[in-house]
Amino acid sequence: MILHSVMPSETVFANMDLVEKQELKEVTFGHATMLVEQTGPFEGKIVRLISPDPQDYLKPHFAPGQTVQFQPEWNS
Amino acid sequence: MSKQQFTDYLNRPPFASAMTKMQSSPPPSPVEEQEPNPTPPAEAPGPEDPKKKLLDSITQLGQTNVPQLESNIYCMSIIGQVEGHIQLPPQNKTTKYEHLIPQLVAAEQNSKIEGVLVILNTVGGDVEAGLAIAEMVSSLSKPVVTLVLGGGHSIGVPIAVAGTYSFIAETATMTIHPIRLTGLVISVPQTFEYLDKMQDRVVSFIARHSKISEQQFRELMTRTGELTRDIGTNVIGADAVKYGLIDEVGGLGSALKKLNELMENARKGKDEVLQ
Repeated sequence: MILHSVMPSETVFANMDLVEKQELKEVTFGHATMLVEQTGPFEGKIVRLISPDPQDYLKPHFAPGQTVQFQPEWNS
Repeated sequence: MSKQQFTDYLNRPPFASAMTKMQSSPPPSPVEEQEPNPTPPAEAPGPEDPKKKLLDSITQLGQTNVPQLESNIYCMSIIGQVEGHIQLPPQNKTTKYEHLIPQLVAAEQNSKIEGVLVILNTVGGDVEAGLAIAEMVSSLSKPVVTLVLGGGHSIGVPIAVAGTYSFIAETATMTIHPIRLTGLVISVPQTFEYLDKMQDRVVSFIARHSKISEQQFRELMTRTGELTRDIGTNVIGADAVKYGLIDEVGGLGSALKKLNELMENARKGKDEVLQ
């Protein structure tokens, strides 16, 4: 990747270790899959949206940074 | 989690509320919007009790009818770093490439959207991502007006010139400087050539989509004594217009006026084709 920016790269890439520590959870809603950073037991912040329907990207509640609520996981 | 635990979860209030939230979160589709029955059902109380009537309509539909603003303009903002192949650390405010590209696809495909307004306040970012966004913007069939507010630096420059018409705020700046390479250099001649090619992609795109010549742009890019940390130039508002990089100095009002004008022309053009 080549960075073309007025910000010095040492500022941009500082705290890079935090990115690796970030744990993302996949939440599906309809045909949209969201990568969510969990902030509570049933709550998370959208980091990325993956959807085959481009119209989903126009919906404000799917935008990165929005909070979503989801169901608890079933593992037994 | 055991089955018993899960049923406990279901009975707990936070989950119950989460479920209803999840179900009511998507906005009603345009078809559903028209559906609400204008005539109250037979068992509904008389018109003397408007509060109760409203409550009834809430229980019937499960939600209130929020008036939705229908705009024929899609506004896209490109702020902070343009994020490409590498996810940047959280202190950066980023515009995510993978979110922007489908948005442009949707704007192109959606028949209700007639024009796109791109607002830029970016410090630059990934070359590939920036060029990809610029190419997408320039190939949209709908009119696009770009507006540089604050700053449109580095890789923000090709995005700013990609639209049908471009504006820059009087106080906004654009920094024009060469691409740098950080990291491992394996062999000097090859690396130099690779970097030169990268630079050419950016410069030729800008020259093709604005009135500035390639020569003039390269001259601005390699000027010394203007930037403290780098070679290059900082062009402010009217200067960008003087060099031919941007079409006009203006703010939000003039940008929207121009976009409406371009949309009107596009509509006229369509009518002519139909006749």
